Amino acid sequence: MKSLFQINIRTPLMVLLILTTALVAQAQDSRIQMGSLDHLAAKASQTVDVNIDERLMRLATKFLSDKDADEKEVKQLVAGLKGIYVKSFEFDVDGQYTAADIDSIRTQLRGPGWTRLLNVTSRKEGNFEVYLLLNGEQAGGLAVLHTGNRELTVVNLVGAVDLDKLAKLEGQLGVPELEIETKPKAKNDEK
Amino acid sequence: MKKIFCAIVLVCLSTSVVHAKDDDFKSVVRMIEQFYSVKHQGIPFLAKAGMKVATTAARIKGGQAKRIAEAGSIKLAVFEDQEFDGDFMKFRSSLNGALNATWTPLIQTLSAKSAEQTYIFLRSAGEKFNVLVITIADRDATVVQVTLSPKNLAALMRDPEGAGKAITEEATIIDQE
Repeated sequence: MKSLFQINIRTPLMVLLILTTALVAQAQDSRIQMGSLDHLAAKASQTVDVNIDERLMRLATKFLSDKDADEKEVKQLVAGLKGIYVKSFEFDVDGQYTAADIDSIRTQLRGPGWTRLLNVTSRKEGNFEVYLLLNGEQAGGLAVLHTGNRELTVVNLVGAVDLDKLAKLEGQLGVPELEIETKPKAKNDEK
Repeated sequence: MKKIFCAIVLVCLSTSVVHAKDDDFKSVVRMIEQFYSVKHQGIPFLAKAGMKVATTAARIKGGQAKRIAEAGSIKLAVFEDQEFDGDFMKFRSSLNGALNATWTPLIQTLSAKSAEQTYIFLRSAGEKFNVLVITIADRDATVVQVTLSPKNLAALMRDPEGAGKAITEEATIIDQE
């Protein structure tokens, strides 16, 4: 029969273990929840919602051949990725989304592990924020938040990803053309 | 005796799951009919003929003519010249809820300007893939289900929107080649 002492010691240990596991899992979760933006579809002139989840990534890796050039290229693109999620809204008039809408995304990107890599503001193109999630020394995810007067786009890449990979993915697999410069311009380009 | 009973229950359950999976195309067609109070027109002749030579995908990419869907795999339902008046947010939510268990939503686009909704869902079918493309416009809609080879899955993943359009056009446009 278990003594009261045994039960008392085990219970807090179990609780601590559960809490630690939950915190670690939360810290490593690079999937951004974008459901709070869904209501904007009713006001938007154009809405795009891309969901390439881990199931699909696994299928692609499993069935795409290395012998065929097209299949190989897509296989290389998705290697290391666990998901591609995009939500993009275009509006006909200004001011259709609120600061609270953006904050619902930014709050998640201020969570543990996330670092802002870039923040570019252009009067013409709007504001670009690029965030990277680091799990130790390894990249665990990337997020791009693009806010313009009549546009709101959130791109979330889950898995081992960096800015070069983002550049390769632009215009493919549902990732919009963001045209984010990932490398400093060469001297010749500046002329 | 218990084992036999369990086996029978298991067989019955798996059969009903497979049946439900196979009927997703019909369920989606029925869902559109009920939600928008419209009626689809079947195109049995074209569908049974395994459809036509499709040049659409090639046209989009500027290359040679090629088929996207595997031969004879096309299921098609067309809704022509009817009112698609309804809350698209509600429809999207019902559609996703109905297909979520067996299909992966790849891309969904809504355009208020052209009153067009496009939904592309994907699921594995052995070493091939089933793709379900639902397009609802102002007065027309199409539901297309096709089977794709891994090579065409690569094309779909690369350009989901373009490939989705190509699949619908392949199923609905008769080429004269």
